[in-house]
Amino acid sequence: MADPPPYPDAGDGTDLELGCGSITGAPRWVKVLGIIAAVLVLLIVIMVLTELLTGQGPARHMFGGLGGQTPPSSGALFSGVGGHMPLAGGHAP
Amino acid sequence: MTMTPRLRKLALTAHVVSSVGWLGAVAASLALAVAGLISQDAPMVRASYIAMNAIGEVVLVPLALASLVTGLVQALGTTWGLLRHYWILIKLLINVFATIVLLLYMQILGYLAGLAAQTASPGADLGVLRNGSPVAHAGAALLLLLVATTLSVYKPRGMTRYGQRKPQPQPAR
Repeated sequence: MADPPPYPDAGDGTDLELGCGSITGAPRWVKVLGIIAAVLVLLIVIMVLTELLTGQGPARHMFGGLGGQTPPSSGALFSGVGGHMPLAGGHAP
Repeated sequence: MTMTPRLRKLALTAHVVSSVGWLGAVAASLALAVAGLISQDAPMVRASYIAMNAIGEVVLVPLALASLVTGLVQALGTTWGLLRHYWILIKLLINVFATIVLLLYMQILGYLAGLAAQTASPGADLGVLRNGSPVAHAGAALLLLLVATTLSVYKPRGMTRYGQRKPQPQPAR
């Protein structure tokens, strides 16, 4: 295996001291991070689906969870908060 | 195209300041979110949601965008490149994802802040306002930004296939 090339900016007085490492496939830390991210995304999807299907669940984070209230369709409600207006026509995602 | 060392340090400083500032502002938002969720003091609960919205508009969004832009400049203006190293690529994905979620979530924060202002009357039901969503979002954002910061410091080894194919440009003198 060829020696890993030095980091591109090494030696110019900055904090770059590690080599580039493996040249065959993704390193183990990338795979581990990817698996953790995939599991978290899966959990979030399950939470959101649970909320959508049952109307309850740990992800009931918006308007269904606010006492059944719906977001305003105009900016009137937001006039007391620095004139903040909803980003997309006044409707929540 | 690579930047001169002096310009590169300036860009690096801007990137570190905006990214770490973003991390700190998220931590402050998390503290406010927890206070808004568990505090028994009604004015405290209302103020938490209003302050979260203000921090979001004035600090979080500008710093998130600044972190993204300065990160792109830093990657493309040096021999690191944007897609050559896994740690840079993952930081880019984290930054883009967190910024998009933040921009979308600002709408919800604005709604909660408006609701907090509306429920200022005595006897208003704070249960309508209390919400675990800001805690979850701020906590997740904090975790992501901590991962990004750790990657920046450790710069773990590993080049992408693109990085292996592309010849490494010579660093600027």
